[in-house]
Amino acid sequence: MASDIEMIAEAVLPSSGFPVDPDLLPVEPAYKNVLRARMSVVWLVLWAAGAVADQAMLQETAAAGLPTFVIPALAAVAILTAPERIYRRLLYKLTDRLLQVVRGWLFHVDTVVPLVRVQHIDVTRGPLEKAFGLATLVVHTAGTHNSIVMLPGLAPQRAAEIRDIIREHVRTDFA
Amino acid sequence: MSEPTLREDTAVGPPEHLHPFFLLTGLGGSLRGVAGGYVAIGYLAVSGRWGTAFFGMLALIAFMTIGVFLYWRRFEFRVGANEIRIDSGILNRTHRSIPFDRIQDVDITQGPLARVLGLARVKFETGASAGQEEGVLQAIRLERAEQLRTLVRARRTHAVSLEPNAETVEPPPVYEMTFPRLLLAGTFNFSLAIFAGLFGLASSPLGEAMGFDPFSRTFWVSILSVSGPARELVMAHRFATAAAGLALLILLGVVTGIIRTALTDFGFRLDRTGVGLRRRRGLFTRTDVTLPVSRAQAAVIATGPVMDRLRWREFRVQSLAKDESSKGSHVLAPLARDAEVDRIVGELGWQPLPSRIAWTRVSLEFVIVLAIALAPLILVAIGNLVFNPLFGGPFLAVLLGALGLRWLAWRRTGYSLDGDRILVRTGWWRRRITILPARKIQSVDLRENFITRAFGIAWLQFGVAGGGMTGHSIPAIPSGEARKLRDLLLDMGA
Repeated sequence: MASDIEMIAEAVLPSSGFPVDPDLLPVEPAYKNVLRARMSVVWLVLWAAGAVADQAMLQETAAAGLPTFVIPALAAVAILTAPERIYRRLLYKLTDRLLQVVRGWLFHVDTVVPLVRVQHIDVTRGPLEKAFGLATLVVHTAGTHNSIVMLPGLAPQRAAEIRDIIREHVRTDFA
Repeated sequence: MSEPTLREDTAVGPPEHLHPFFLLTGLGGSLRGVAGGYVAIGYLAVSGRWGTAFFGMLALIAFMTIGVFLYWRRFEFRVGANEIRIDSGILNRTHRSIPFDRIQDVDITQGPLARVLGLARVKFETGASAGQEEGVLQAIRLERAEQLRTLVRARRTHAVSLEPNAETVEPPPVYEMTFPRLLLAGTFNFSLAIFAGLFGLASSPLGEAMGFDPFSRTFWVSILSVSGPARELVMAHRFATAAAGLALLILLGVVTGIIRTALTDFGFRLDRTGVGLRRRRGLFTRTDVTLPVSRAQAAVIATGPVMDRLRWREFRVQSLAKDESSKGSHVLAPLARDAEVDRIVGELGWQPLPSRIAWTRVSLEFVIVLAIALAPLILVAIGNLVFNPLFGGPFLAVLLGALGLRWLAWRRTGYSLDGDRILVRTGWWRRRITILPARKIQSVDLRENFITRAFGIAWLQFGVAGGGMTGHSIPAIPSGEARKLRDLLLDMGA
């Protein structure tokens, strides 16, 4: 397991120059499938819209047929490459004090939430996540900016486990 | 008396209704709320169906009168030993119970009509998510409102006595705005909003229909052609006219600013009360808000280049409760000297700002990153400068101006750890010093993107309860330093 994480850590941020925390955990690999399914739906809608626009407006122009064929090609590239990368770069860490969620490369965001600041916790499961046996942990803080921190791609048992750990720390002390 | 609450309990107290005058004030409110109805009636009237329009109008008014009456009839509240119950709703009944423990404070607002009638709108501040009307009594007698507030305060502080504080002589205020200062604050509030409004009108369909378009030359020519002497005057003294126009513009801006400030800040007064700071202000709509001290999440000392030169500051506090204005933070002093700001900071139970603050400046990449982001646009502007200088020139000037402002802002941007809090100074035009106690930080984001990563810098963004959506951030600090600072602040807050 350890070597697995190291490998991921190395793959994640090779050029960034900052030390990668070896305690950061990846989410379930099945999350890639959720992303693929989700992206497929989005691209399908785009393709349909493109095809309609193609038929309706571009038939007389030089660009005729372009959207109908280019969009699926772009979709294939995106669906084959992006989920893998998003997955690799989504990491989290739970200590006895903090929850840390690290995500993205192009726009990299590294969020830390002290457990005592958590207001309430949801575990949500959409239809796609249910199909792939996953759950999303949603942590609400009192903050207005970034008051909802989401950690997708967890196994339901793991999400419930994290929820229970956080619940023990919740205490509202701002009033 | 229409129906009992969920459980018949002597502890919940006798039912009370809103004041009958609510039928008047409430109707005004709901008349304002149905813009769509007026549009429909207006359409009917314009299209010549006067009869239908008339009946539509009657129906609308009747409908709303009945609605307000039913709301009033079906709305009752009870003040119990430990909670306030509000039963409301015409078809869908809501039985809400708000425990005193949860009520942070009671806000009292009086609109102009309510002031004449001696009524007040009471809002129980519970710290629920902003925008939700959790516990509002639209119109009750002012004395009853003050009684409720005293009651809630007494319950919160676990004091026994409920004696109203009216008899006791009010101690001198923490901060007060005199009339000259109100005028000065208005001047700083210099606003050309009125022109924005006129231009907005011009670009709207209504303005077009009225032939009102101050952007078009013909608009002015036609105005001038109507009055011959005016035209001759304008043509004869072009320069003087321009100067006079400019002066008029400035005068209007100042007057607008003063009026806007006077409306909200007239009679501004900040007092220390048991649990917090009580603020009263307003010319027509008088508001009376108490900010419990322990709820203050962060404070901002704001100023501008001119205000700063004259050593004036505005002091705002970000709290869980939302202020009546859309700003989200509570203005505790619209225009104050450093000593007054220190006094209010002291009343919040916070350390005053050190007299010399050792700011850690952020990296110059703060400017460079913006330059890189704007580079494509700058290239476009330069390209246009050659072929279309009339467009390219101003465009380039705006872009370079933005960069210049960023550079000026960079010279002032910095942060400083001050005991158990962090101070952040930002901006050149909008100068801000943010005081953020470490224990009020709800979450920390460290943001990088593909440009900033190349320079090894990151943005730190703090989630703080209440206030605006943007949160507080420190821009452009070296990644390693940002990580260290984050860990330090989270350790302090724990």
